[in-house]
Amino acid sequence: MNTKIHIAIAEPSVIIRGGIINLLRQIREADIYIIEIPDITQLEFMLCRYKSDVLIINPALVGYHAIHQMKHSPDLNQIRYVALHNALADPLTLGIFDENITIYDSAEQIKTKIVKLCHKEQSSEVKQELSVREKEIIMEVVKGLTNKQIAEKLCLSVHTVITHRRNIANKLQIHSPAGLTVYAILNKLVSLEDIQN
Amino acid sequence: MYRLGKYRRTDKMSDLICENYSMLLVMSRFGIPVGFGDLTIEEVCTKNNVDVRTFLTVVNLLICGEKDPGEQDPGVLSIPSLITYLKNSHTYFLGFRLPTIRSKLIEVLDSSDSQISTAIIRFYDEYVEQVKRHMEYEEQTLFPYIDSLLAGKKDPFYQIKVFCMQHDQIDAKLSELKNIIIKYYSSGNTNELNSVLFDIFSCSGDLASHNFIEDHLLVPEISRLERNVRKK
Repeated sequence: MNTKIHIAIAEPSVIIRGGIINLLRQIREADIYIIEIPDITQLEFMLCRYKSDVLIINPALVGYHAIHQMKHSPDLNQIRYVALHNALADPLTLGIFDENITIYDSAEQIKTKIVKLCHKEQSSEVKQELSVREKEIIMEVVKGLTNKQIAEKLCLSVHTVITHRRNIANKLQIHSPAGLTVYAILNKLVSLEDIQN
Repeated sequence: MYRLGKYRRTDKMSDLICENYSMLLVMSRFGIPVGFGDLTIEEVCTKNNVDVRTFLTVVNLLICGEKDPGEQDPGVLSIPSLITYLKNSHTYFLGFRLPTIRSKLIEVLDSSDSQISTAIIRFYDEYVEQVKRHMEYEEQTLFPYIDSLLAGKKDPFYQIKVFCMQHDQIDAKLSELKNIIIKYYSSGNTNELNSVLFDIFSCSGDLASHNFIEDHLLVPEISRLERNVRKK
């Protein structure tokens, strides 16, 4: 399973929206959660309420200035903006978007563009075995040690421990200490007695 | 017959259920038993004192994943009906679904390796505890707040926004358990293990749709109600 990606689609036409959603559902590289915004007046409200990673929007609905403003607003600047245009659009407006899709793109083209964006987002995601250090950290986490205690015990900085824990969560897709405990026991990294002590 | 459109009050209840068997759960949470012959959705709802519009909105939202803006006239939904639905749904998860999965898990987990079974059951129990807290919060804080709003009283210290901000996805951790079992657990009891995995898959789907109804139906209705009460 991959990281969850929230994609908002602001497009009034139900046919176009439905078509895009259909394509997004075929993408297997990311776990995509879709937020539909048929009513453009609800755009900001919806984006604030459902934190989105990607916004697919018809540039004719908002224009250059609105996107420019959104990109500089502290709440919305982490979003990646994708233009979805069904008519000629001027290059200056399109230039402000992170990616653009036309309704005549092929299914493959659209999917590739979205996957590329999603990957930019999770560039840190690497799929490989756990390192020895990461295994050591799991063993301490399941014993109930705090990040600070782990750092002291293994002579690392707290910051490094946090980075390791993030990488572990990404590699295993296990985010809770309880989940790591089950993992550790199944993989014989620790025994139940170690934890109870 | 494959249906593209939405269900209407004049459709037969039996058609709705046969075409979408997961709606059995919705029906029983509204307090409607099976055995309704050839009655239409509206007739069955009236007979069981269920608000038909609320029933249809929930059903169509779960089947199509989309609200029909045309049907969304303010105040059309019966909030008490919706609350009954949500409360019954809580009882179902806490009193039936989650305990059933727990006893199936105990049965299927290899008793020869007690360490693994203990760890998995402990994880599961922690999870259920979390779901319980989540649902108790709604029962003890959110629903009474809505009751007083319906009575025209506005609590100065609480808003539906507060609920939105802390309403987390309760199905995530259950998916984690499923992933751990699939990736790392090997057992001889294939059929039994598959059966409990199917249960976990469908239960996390149900929990997700339960949350979906709260976020997409209850929350907008309550913010509208808040605005109305404020105006008065």
